[in-house]
Amino acid sequence: MRRSFLSILGIFIWTVGVIYAVFTIVPPAEGLGNLVRIAFFHIPVAWVSVLAFLLSAVWAFQYLRTRKPEHDWRSSAAVSIGFAFCILATVSGATFAKLTWGAYWNWDPRQTTIFILLLIYGAYLALRSAIEDEEQKARIAAVYSLCSFITVPFLVFIIPRYYFSLHPAPVINSAARIEMDKIMLAVLIAALIACTAIFWQLLTYRVNSRQKREAAAISGEEGVKQ
Amino acid sequence: MKLRHSIGFLIIIAFLAYSFTVFQTSLTPYVSFAQAKSSTGAVQVRGVLATEKITVTENGKTVTFSLRDEAGEEVSVIYQGAKPEGLDQATSIVAVGKYQNDQFVAEKLLIKCPSKYQGSVKPS
Repeated sequence: MRRSFLSILGIFIWTVGVIYAVFTIVPPAEGLGNLVRIAFFHIPVAWVSVLAFLLSAVWAFQYLRTRKPEHDWRSSAAVSIGFAFCILATVSGATFAKLTWGAYWNWDPRQTTIFILLLIYGAYLALRSAIEDEEQKARIAAVYSLCSFITVPFLVFIIPRYYFSLHPAPVINSAARIEMDKIMLAVLIAALIACTAIFWQLLTYRVNSRQKREAAAISGEEGVKQ
Repeated sequence: MKLRHSIGFLIIIAFLAYSFTVFQTSLTPYVSFAQAKSSTGAVQVRGVLATEKITVTENGKTVTFSLRDEAGEEVSVIYQGAKPEGLDQATSIVAVGKYQNDQFVAEKLLIKCPSKYQGSVKPS
């Protein structure tokens, strides 16, 4: 309990520091001006959603191998939190698009692919809620999570680089070089750490509370038997 | 069991490859002037400024400029509205509208600005 309080406090202070840095230290960018500050929110949430979907696939694989329910809890929690971050990336991206290109939504390849990604993982959540039996739910969801992750590299990394897009070139551009101001890069890395830590905290919280509920249910059942 | 899994996996890959080829053209909304001429509805043509000359009428409500698409075709674009910010510096311009009488009538102009994640004040 004490440890989790300390880690929440640590993440909070770190995040406040990052927000302060984004608004004070980061210089207005060439061309983008002050709008570049949105990127320090947009890039980390997009990164976290990809990480979450990857972790979900890894835990899904482990579930299929070991059939331990903990892996399923982790895998499903990763998708639901990742889905929320993916929505945040879409909304912040659309806002950024309105301010720079001049339209919220234009079915740009970047926007089409993140829309498909939201549909795929939205279907995962719908699939889970449609199955009653816990074991069957875990098994089918794990297979689905594994299969859907196959599309992620295409949707996130390949297609947007293959087609022309109004989206600014990714931080690591197609020449595999990082062309970013040193201060911006430092703040971006700090923001990535903050966002990942928030994700991890949310995930741990969800998995732990599930664990407690299951433990309570088991001891409750034993109480009935006695 | 193993064989069944690998067959399933192959089917998924094949389906992905198939859907990729099918959706290849529809994944991007951006077309060239040649395609714009043959289509009846509104399309999105992307290109760059052919010349630096951008004409704005006196009342500031009509913007005309020449856009060069990827194939190198240059067409004059007419846009009813205020000149979008950053039109001069745009690395790419997307004109949304219709091709009419040797002109592209744009309802909307989308701008891709040069974004290099570099500070605007360059150290000298």
